[in-house]
Amino acid sequence: MMNINTDFIFNLLGLSAFIAAFSLGFVLMLKMEEIKRLKLVLDKLKKSFDELDDQAKLIVKTDLELNKTQEELDKKISGLYTLQRLSRAISTTLDENQLFERIEESLIIELGFEKALAFSFEKTENGALGLVTKMQAGYSAEEVEKARTSLEKEDILSAILKKNAPFSSLTAASGKLKHAMETIKSACLLNSFISSPVSSKDGPYGLIIMGNESALSVLTEGDEEIVSILATQLGQSIENAKLFEQTFRSHQELERRVTERTKELTAALEEIKQTSKRKSEFVSAVSHELRTPLTSIKGYASILATGKLGEIPPAVKERIEKIHLHSNELTNLINNMLDISRIESGRVEMKLLPQSLTEITAKIVDLLTPQMKEKQIQCTTRLPKVLKTALIDTTQIERVFINLISNAIKYSPEGAKITVSAEETADNFIRVDVADTGYGIPQADLGKIFQEFYRVDTAITKGIKGTGLGLSLVKYIIEAHKGTIWVNSKENSGSTFSFTLPIAA
Amino acid sequence: MAILVGIGLSKNRDSYLAGKEAAHSAKQKIDSKNISLAFVFATTHFKLEQLLAGIKEVLGNTPVVGSSGVGIITPSGIDSTAATVMLISSTKVKFAIAKETDLDKKDLRIAGQKLAKAALQNLGAAQREVFILFLDGLIKNGSSLISGIKETLGISFPLIGGSSGDDLKFTKTYQFFRDECLTNSAVATLIGGDATVRIGIRHGWKPLGKPRTVTSSAGNIIKTIDDKPALSLYEEYFGKNNPDIRSGKLMHISVRYPLGIYLEGEEEYLLRNALWSDKDGSLICQGDVPQGATLKLMMGTKESALKAAALAAETIKEMSKKHQPLKFALIFDSFSRNRLLGRNAQDEIELVKNILGNDIPFIGFYSYGEQAPLSSLDYRGQAHFHNESIAILGVGEQQ
Repeated sequence: MMNINTDFIFNLLGLSAFIAAFSLGFVLMLKMEEIKRLKLVLDKLKKSFDELDDQAKLIVKTDLELNKTQEELDKKISGLYTLQRLSRAISTTLDENQLFERIEESLIIELGFEKALAFSFEKTENGALGLVTKMQAGYSAEEVEKARTSLEKEDILSAILKKNAPFSSLTAASGKLKHAMETIKSACLLNSFISSPVSSKDGPYGLIIMGNESALSVLTEGDEEIVSILATQLGQSIENAKLFEQTFRSHQELERRVTERTKELTAALEEIKQTSKRKSEFVSAVSHELRTPLTSIKGYASILATGKLGEIPPAVKERIEKIHLHSNELTNLINNMLDISRIESGRVEMKLLPQSLTEITAKIVDLLTPQMKEKQIQCTTRLPKVLKTALIDTTQIERVFINLISNAIKYSPEGAKITVSAEETADNFIRVDVADTGYGIPQADLGKIFQEFYRVDTAITKGIKGTGLGLSLVKYIIEAHKGTIWVNSKENSGSTFSFTLPIAA
Repeated sequence: MAILVGIGLSKNRDSYLAGKEAAHSAKQKIDSKNISLAFVFATTHFKLEQLLAGIKEVLGNTPVVGSSGVGIITPSGIDSTAATVMLISSTKVKFAIAKETDLDKKDLRIAGQKLAKAALQNLGAAQREVFILFLDGLIKNGSSLISGIKETLGISFPLIGGSSGDDLKFTKTYQFFRDECLTNSAVATLIGGDATVRIGIRHGWKPLGKPRTVTSSAGNIIKTIDDKPALSLYEEYFGKNNPDIRSGKLMHISVRYPLGIYLEGEEEYLLRNALWSDKDGSLICQGDVPQGATLKLMMGTKESALKAAALAAETIKEMSKKHQPLKFALIFDSFSRNRLLGRNAQDEIELVKNILGNDIPFIGFYSYGEQAPLSSLDYRGQAHFHNESIAILGVGEQQ
């Protein structure tokens, strides 16, 4: 029983142990499974994490690229915008030095540069190529001078001229150009820079250098383009300025010459005026001197003609009458000359009063009727019934009428017609026409008949006496009244003399 | 009395005249003879001692604090060659200023403590509200100085500031204290009294790829990441032979793709620019990177950067909702944002201006680093040294 029991118990224990071991094994197995699963999940997670990180790298790289592009684009846009403003500023001046002054520091900064320098090439006293500072931004005066003298070396300038294209601190270079680039960096205190030649039609003009002192500011290819565009623009503007300068100079020269000539002409005119005045004075003086003896001659001739001093034979009487007649003509001539010189020199004052031209016309026509009758000339007056009074010196205007109507009689054949007409004009003048159907005036002489001593020289007029002073006297009188006189005529078809006189207000 | 603010800007080429001009035009806009404080920001193309002399000529003994920047920010836009002056006048709001010089010879933590203590002493009994720091942008480990300040003022005391910049030459940056033009220094302003302040700081950069661990670092130098030379991280993402990651050019890449440190409980990663790499593949960063920190490569886009600026500005604007009208703002904007945004940099300032309100006076500068609590969501967040961020301080008055 005992054995059975112990056996049983052992068996039971064994079974329990077995079951326990089995369960344990089972649980362990399950746990192992779990760990395995978790490890898988963890691996998966780790993998996703790494994948995520790879994606992050991709994002970062893309973002970096994008930012670079964006920055470049931004720079280009703002660069172009600034460039446009600069171009406008530059193109509105035609002064070479002002042109550089327009490149303000603020615009340089907007272009994305801290500092800028511009030099022009100029021959120095010893014939070598030198530099002249044209513009600077971001430097002190001493720094500019130091930069200028450092760059003004033969090997550096020749390297720059030889390159003859924009280059920057990014440009791969060797030899002389590399040395020049290093010098630009150190002399102009720049960490990065762009240099561009400025050329005009005549060849290289100079160079501009723009750059940054701070290592933080980086250059891009876009910067080089912008500086190069600016340099081209500068070159063109310099050319324009030079062309303008030339044009301006020649214009000034022309103006100077015109002024000179005008001065000369004014002096000549003044001289002529003086001469003319002296002539008038001379004529006036001579006329006066002539009048006195002439009066005596006339007086003695008259006395002789009366026969009071003794009987004179008819042949002598005839000659004495001729002396008398010619003396009269001479007096007339002298009087006219005196009048002209007086009016010309302003010594005759016009006594202007309102006066009826109708009355004067009637009076003069009446006065000259005997002469007209002699040649069977018919005279008609065509005046409006009511004509405003004119503001005139009656004595002088009577002389005008006498002269013009006498001329009409003189230069017309027998049986000719004379018409005197008048009308008011729109501009407050009275216009008087004295027309005849006489010989007329040749075309060539029309412009000259108002000149002193001018007489029309034709076969017909040769026989007619005249001094050549009548019409010029008339012209002086009319002009002294602020009127005008002119003539319309055709040879053999008569003449019309017209003049205007102011209406009395 | 209310807080009165006047700002002036000058681009005069003569440094002394520029100082006079900016100060004068600010003074004309402020209807008060008792000016409490002047903030001055200027670019380094000026002879800054002369600029400060010009300002003193106009302002007399008014306390002046300020910093040089890569660029100047005012409501009229961004200027790369300008000086701006902001004058503040208030009887209820108190201002205290302090300086610490010769930082390269000092333990920065202790210097920070001393700076904060001096400012506290000068403020006197008034309730303190915010600490503004202008720090030399070339100090390698500004984080230590901030630690020192935090130890004195309290870990969660609001701190904001900008690291002075130069014209991206990284040679010398300047801090202004009265008419002194300091370098290698820190200048502090403690605002207290009846002022209310709010700080907004954002960057908008997003993490990319898998997290990595800083396996060895010292201060601002990361030696290894995942037991590999730190530079290999950039090589992995940009290609081993990419010329863009050669030592001299690493900065170009890293301002766009900085390292982001993951911080528990913060909304945004803390960014670090890698300035350059050493021969052994270590990365020298702007700001410290703790050993054991989790890092990710970060990527910024124009859109996300602008959105971040808007979020920072909106944080400031929330003040008004609590009936604490905003009186003026200071902006410390990372120069790298200017580079990322490029032609759109102006948009960022316009955006901030529109959100703050067109009549709110503000000035700022482009900095080499920003100091502020990391997340603006929690007002009492801890101050950190930042890169790539826009930090805005809004100051209002209690009503």
